[in-house]
Amino acid sequence: MSVLSINNLAKSYGRIKALKGVSFEVPAGSVYGLLGPNGSGKTTLLSIILDVLSADAGNYTWFGKPTTPDIRKNIGTLLETPNFYHYLSAVNNLLVTSSISGRGNKAAIDEVLKTVSLYERRNSPFSSYSLGMKQRLAIAAALLGKPQILILDEPTNGLDPVGIAEIRDLIGALRLQGYTIIIASHLLDEIEKICTHVAILKQGELVAEGTVKDVLMDEDIIEIGCHSTAALDAIVQNIPGFIQLEQKGDWCSVYFEKGTADTAAVNAYCFAQGITLNHLVLKKKRLEDRFFELTAN
Amino acid sequence: MRNILKTEWLKIKFYPAFWWVMGMTILSYPGINMIFWKVFLNITQKKTQTGQMVAWLLGNPFAFPDTFHTTAYFSSFFVFIPSILVIMLITNEYSYKTNRQNIIDGWSRDQFLWGKFFNVLITTFIVTLLFSIVAVVIGYLATTKMPEQPLREIKFVLLFALQSFEQLSVAFLFGFLVRRSFLALSLFLFYYMIVENIVVKILSLKTKDWGRFLPLEISDRLIPIPAFLGKFDDDAFKIGLEAINMHIIYTIVMSVFIWVICFRVNRKRDL
Repeated sequence: MSVLSINNLAKSYGRIKALKGVSFEVPAGSVYGLLGPNGSGKTTLLSIILDVLSADAGNYTWFGKPTTPDIRKNIGTLLETPNFYHYLSAVNNLLVTSSISGRGNKAAIDEVLKTVSLYERRNSPFSSYSLGMKQRLAIAAALLGKPQILILDEPTNGLDPVGIAEIRDLIGALRLQGYTIIIASHLLDEIEKICTHVAILKQGELVAEGTVKDVLMDEDIIEIGCHSTAALDAIVQNIPGFIQLEQKGDWCSVYFEKGTADTAAVNAYCFAQGITLNHLVLKKKRLEDRFFELTAN
Repeated sequence: MRNILKTEWLKIKFYPAFWWVMGMTILSYPGINMIFWKVFLNITQKKTQTGQMVAWLLGNPFAFPDTFHTTAYFSSFFVFIPSILVIMLITNEYSYKTNRQNIIDGWSRDQFLWGKFFNVLITTFIVTLLFSIVAVVIGYLATTKMPEQPLREIKFVLLFALQSFEQLSVAFLFGFLVRRSFLALSLFLFYYMIVENIVVKILSLKTKDWGRFLPLEISDRLIPIPAFLGKFDDDAFKIGLEAINMHIIYTIVMSVFIWVICFRVNRKRDL
């Protein structure tokens, strides 16, 4: 079942087309990564599904229904920047969040402040916080009252390496608890580690979407090496699913159609052809490589 | 509605600037009326022949029942102080981007604006209550012999409330449309103190007094000059009194118009 269904969303700012008919679905219980370079339309898309911006065309549904304020009350959101009343303390800001959303109470506020390590500074005004502390408070507000859906736009902005690791672990733990999490980030390594699904945007267009495994594994790659790479060139072309071979110094990268690479079969085939392999690795493409491939001009 | 009021209270109860401006408002309303009353007493209590003549001519405008009209007139000069508060409360939301966070957290756009409407309404209530207390206190102090109908002019309490609400709504409109605190405050005060006064004067000379329909002037005419000042221009005083009923309607229409604009714009514009 889809938590969120986005259908052909489009948005322009004057002449600039920020979104050009984007469609995808976010399955329940998934950690859905939204990737794209600056200006690709990630925040615009998130702003539309939260009713902060209105779309020029297209529509979206939450749980199969058009959005309402009550649906948003059950979504914990950090959008773009931490937005709080500067003169209020963390506790009083979260009381405002709680009053509007109906999520959480005093005890829940203390709990989320402890979760993001802000409890000791809970009574200090927001204006006295560092960038990282402001970000932590925004995450606390999103987590308040345990909403079953989280939307986190660049949640690790301003955090130190320890903070980033804590947020990554927190998201992993929330996923295990059944939360659906939509996360936009530039940190591809983080996305790759924590997301089950990913959508990649480029200049307002969706260039790839699906499970992380599917998006990453556009092709299968096996690295093979032997005493004579020239000999390999002649024989690997007959292996089923072969696409191309690339020489890489002492070994070659052999590309196969998705799902067809089989290291044992390749090894047996080469051996039968009189070639003994001294290097055989099934290579997994990194999200970063795939991201650059998809978003390069 | 209760949730909206509760949330607005959470936003302002620890806001130092709110209490500072509220304090200024609380001091200014009794202050200005006491000053005018004391000036009036200084003039009329002189034992000189001139003093006696002025006292005879002006009567006792601070005593019952005229206290309601007189103090409403002087108090209406100071609506710009609570206007600062109203502008601050809306522009803060834009400065901190909390307007969008309120929507994200689950308010509808209309609920957000109803919160601001209640801010204006409650500020109106506070200044009206303050003015009423000042009118009654000064009335008691200034009245030597209680008249048969001490509350005859109490309608000016309601007229003052309507005028304050409309003028605070104009201030809100500036904050709502301009969004930036300093710019909105500057523009409003410039318009309030200079632009509209000049335009009203020009239009009164060159047209059939179309200036009376300008946003602030439309409700300024709910409280015409008090009777003792009217004695210097009796015709103008009578015309002013006769125009009150029409200006009640104009002011209500203008107030509704302002808020309809705000709600419509708020529903459509990107946050």
